[in-house]
Amino acid sequence: MKQYRKWLLLGVGLVIVLLVDFPIITVALNSFRTTETIISSHSILPTQPTLANYLYINTRTRFWTFLINSGIVAACSTLLGIVLASLAGFAMSRYRARILASYNQALLIVQMFPLILAIIPLFIFFRKLDMVNNFVPVMLVYTLTQLPFATWMLRSYFDSIPRELDEAATMDGCSPLRIFLQIILPLTVPGIAAVAIFSFLFSYNEFFISSVFLRDEDRMTMPVGIQSFMQQYSTDWGSLMAAATLAMVPTLILFLFIQKYMISGATAGAVKG
Amino acid sequence: MPLKVMQPYAASAPKADWFVRTRVQPLPYLLLLPSLALIFLIELYPFINGVSFSVHKGSLLGTGPFVGLDNYLRLFNSADFYNSLWFSFVFAFCNVAISYLIGLALALFLNLDFPGRGICRVALLVPWIVPAVVSIVSWKWLIADRGGLVNIFLNSVGIGPIYFLSDSGWAMVAVIVIKIWRSFPFMMLSLLAALQVIDRTLYEAGKIDGANGRQLFWYITLPHLKNISIIQAILMTIWSINDFETPYLLTQGGPSNATENLILLSYRFTFGRNDVGRGSAVAILTLVVLMILSTIIMRQQRKAV
Repeated sequence: MKQYRKWLLLGVGLVIVLLVDFPIITVALNSFRTTETIISSHSILPTQPTLANYLYINTRTRFWTFLINSGIVAACSTLLGIVLASLAGFAMSRYRARILASYNQALLIVQMFPLILAIIPLFIFFRKLDMVNNFVPVMLVYTLTQLPFATWMLRSYFDSIPRELDEAATMDGCSPLRIFLQIILPLTVPGIAAVAIFSFLFSYNEFFISSVFLRDEDRMTMPVGIQSFMQQYSTDWGSLMAAATLAMVPTLILFLFIQKYMISGATAGAVKG
Repeated sequence: MPLKVMQPYAASAPKADWFVRTRVQPLPYLLLLPSLALIFLIELYPFINGVSFSVHKGSLLGTGPFVGLDNYLRLFNSADFYNSLWFSFVFAFCNVAISYLIGLALALFLNLDFPGRGICRVALLVPWIVPAVVSIVSWKWLIADRGGLVNIFLNSVGIGPIYFLSDSGWAMVAVIVIKIWRSFPFMMLSLLAALQVIDRTLYEAGKIDGANGRQLFWYITLPHLKNISIIQAILMTIWSINDFETPYLLTQGGPSNATENLILLSYRFTFGRNDVGRGSAVAILTLVVLMILSTIIMRQQRKAV
């Protein structure tokens, strides 16, 4: 009887998963059908799978440029974010000073700040410097938006390294900076990697900031590129679905690496604040 | 200001103890310096500029004459502003309330013990983790007027086609439903994390005392979810008000501004009409709305429990 209930729950779970993920599943399935069959056929499964949409994306669009741009922007902002957040996280984990409490409050404000308020002046500012269509402003804004959660998560990883290690190293004449670089950082590599992947995913998925700054086709990131496809070929569902499918492949792969950190991350990010 | 805080420590610190001595060091300040510089450059300095833009006439090319509160007064006299304010509220309220209910139900479900629940947990997070643009492509097809799956289904059961994106009412429903679909997984994740740390023995004690399932839920589970629920309600309200991607990608604020929230309004003034003054004024008012809402939520929830 107990056993029967477990399998029933699994069945219910799978039905819920299918319903919830249905829009994502249809994107992938539709990417293997031509636009005509997508519109006319009443079934969801591709009966005559074709790679035509992918060939079209590959030869007729700048898809790979968008992908590379997204990779560059996301990688740079992640790297910068990890450096800044690990320095600040180390300070918050190992020192007690009033500025650190104020800094924690500042991070909270950063997290709730309406970005549009910063984007308007930043756009005008970087326009004067002739830096629209440049990755730098986008990267800096991404780094900033990741800063609160990255700092809180890294701080909680650093907190898990016993302070006795620091003290022992200090006895041996190790400076605080070396303690950080040679003891604490190497011990928290898995945590740092998880935070880095989170940050990368965030930047890779982000649309708003990229769309404001990156208007030139050579410079567009993936979400902005797909949005411009959507405007140009609004009814060419086949190619759109193929582009969308390719765009989410990196996201899903990275997501599988970090899914086990998700629950601890959710609590560190939300409760610590 | 930070340096002032250091003074008393510096004056009173004995030199002997390692831990006390490190407190005196300038290191924590140096460690924060790069982050503070970034916050200043990308948020504080633009914010000050934004406040100044909101009291000037101006375009993207340059700031014009000082006009006092004129930009704000013109907003308070325009139907567009109230329309956006209203939609932002409706959007945020529906999203927070419904995402919470769905998130809570699924968190309770995923906290049960059954084979394959790990896979279910991961799979249910997918709508949250996928790029907004990908989900919007998919949803746009699902609810398309011609050839969209929802309308094909409605047609087959004899209900006429619904023009989701060209009817104001249905467009609002569509934007809100898609936003809920994109945000409930995070609610679920946080609530699940909170559920997992509840001490099992509490339930055993409750059962021994003769509590039924509903009482266990009401008197043990819910009180333990109180803190995370308050935090999530505030965070999700803020994120909903700040959301640009869902309405912009799906409807661009249309039809006839029915799905234009405050962020889209600010964006349209600034980048569409080249009116930086009013665009900035809307953005400042959005911040005010956010602060008021988060204060109200905190007060209400403290009172309630």
